Amino acid sequence: MAGFADLNLPQGPDKKSLQSLLEAAAHLGYSAVALNHVIDFKEKKQEIVKPVSPLELFPSLPIVQGTSKRIKVLTRLTLVVSDPSHCNLLRSTSANIRLYDIIAVFPKTEKLFHIACTTLDVDLVCINVTEKLPFYFRRPPVNMAVDRGICFELLYAPAIKDSTMRRYTISNAISLMQICKGKNIVISSAAERPLELRGPYDVANLGLLFGLSESEAKAAVSTNCRATILHGETRKSACGVVYTVKKPRKVEEEETPLPACKKVKTQA
Amino acid sequence: MPPAAAFERRVLRSAAEHHYLRVRLELPDGGARPSVAQFKQLVVSALRELHGEVGAALPVDVLTYEEKTLSAILRVVSSGLVKLWSALTLLGFYQNRRCAFRVLQVKPCISISSCVIWQQ
Repeated sequence: MAGFADLNLPQGPDKKSLQSLLEAAAHLGYSAVALNHVIDFKEKKQEIVKPVSPLELFPSLPIVQGTSKRIKVLTRLTLVVSDPSHCNLLRSTSANIRLYDIIAVFPKTEKLFHIACTTLDVDLVCINVTEKLPFYFRRPPVNMAVDRGICFELLYAPAIKDSTMRRYTISNAISLMQICKGKNIVISSAAERPLELRGPYDVANLGLLFGLSESEAKAAVSTNCRATILHGETRKSACGVVYTVKKPRKVEEEETPLPACKKVKTQA
Repeated sequence: MPPAAAFERRVLRSAAEHHYLRVRLELPDGGARPSVAQFKQLVVSALRELHGEVGAALPVDVLTYEEKTLSAILRVVSSGLVKLWSALTLLGFYQNRRCAFRVLQVKPCISISSCVIWQQ
């Protein structure tokens, strides 16, 4: 069974609070977490810095409760895009982007949502939960994203803090479920404090509230997270795949024993 | 050799009437701990915040409560398990103090031997 993962822990500057967050996540049973670095292009020009290696930040990682392995810490980059020109950064072969394990995009308009689902090379598309969605989801881009292996991410920490956010979270989640039928959903926290984290089974129960079935809700915390992590790994490594196919041999051409190279020339 | 016995497998599923939750309230600041009545009121207000008056009317019982560790065993009708669990998950504040509910166990029967238990 895939271990539970929480793919969105905001990376603040304070190392101690991050350490306490990691310990809380390991105590609750998460096998992997991703430290999220958010880049918002609306603010003044920000450069994409190299991700800090988790080994430097945390000399000793806590052990996940229930297993004997240490928690796995990944790095993640989220780009908040509100303009098509911001996407050029993803298309350029910037060396720093390649160093992150997971890349997510947060589209603010319908056109950008369409571009993110169909052409952009990302692993996650974030769905806004703090305000009413400015656009409706349509089936073609969502189906294309599901085919490409891109997951949609929903956050639950805003729902814990404020009741208005709760309504927006649930309504946006329900409208997403109607279009994508519960496939490729990832639910993660954006917890800034250890108290805002919830256990993996609690989060799976929240998925039931959003309209997922029981198996889909559990997959949202485990299987789909693992799929996203593997998608990020393949994005880093493979550029193309070559595979061989066995060609069926035709029996009628066995009259003259021609060598294979000459046979190919006469066929072409 | 004796003939192979024919086996017939019957699975009887009876939906359990109640589900039992073992929960613990985390209140890290060193303030006053809630009494059992205040704890029940907290659970009902969490249900009302998320599911409204219908949720608050859900029959929930606090079977045991320890004020020292703030852990309790709640009982709820099985049809209301998802509502209660989600309401406890999304609760963030108790009297303007940050808190969190940790659901430790959920089982359909109070005795240990007849059901599968997981712990978190």
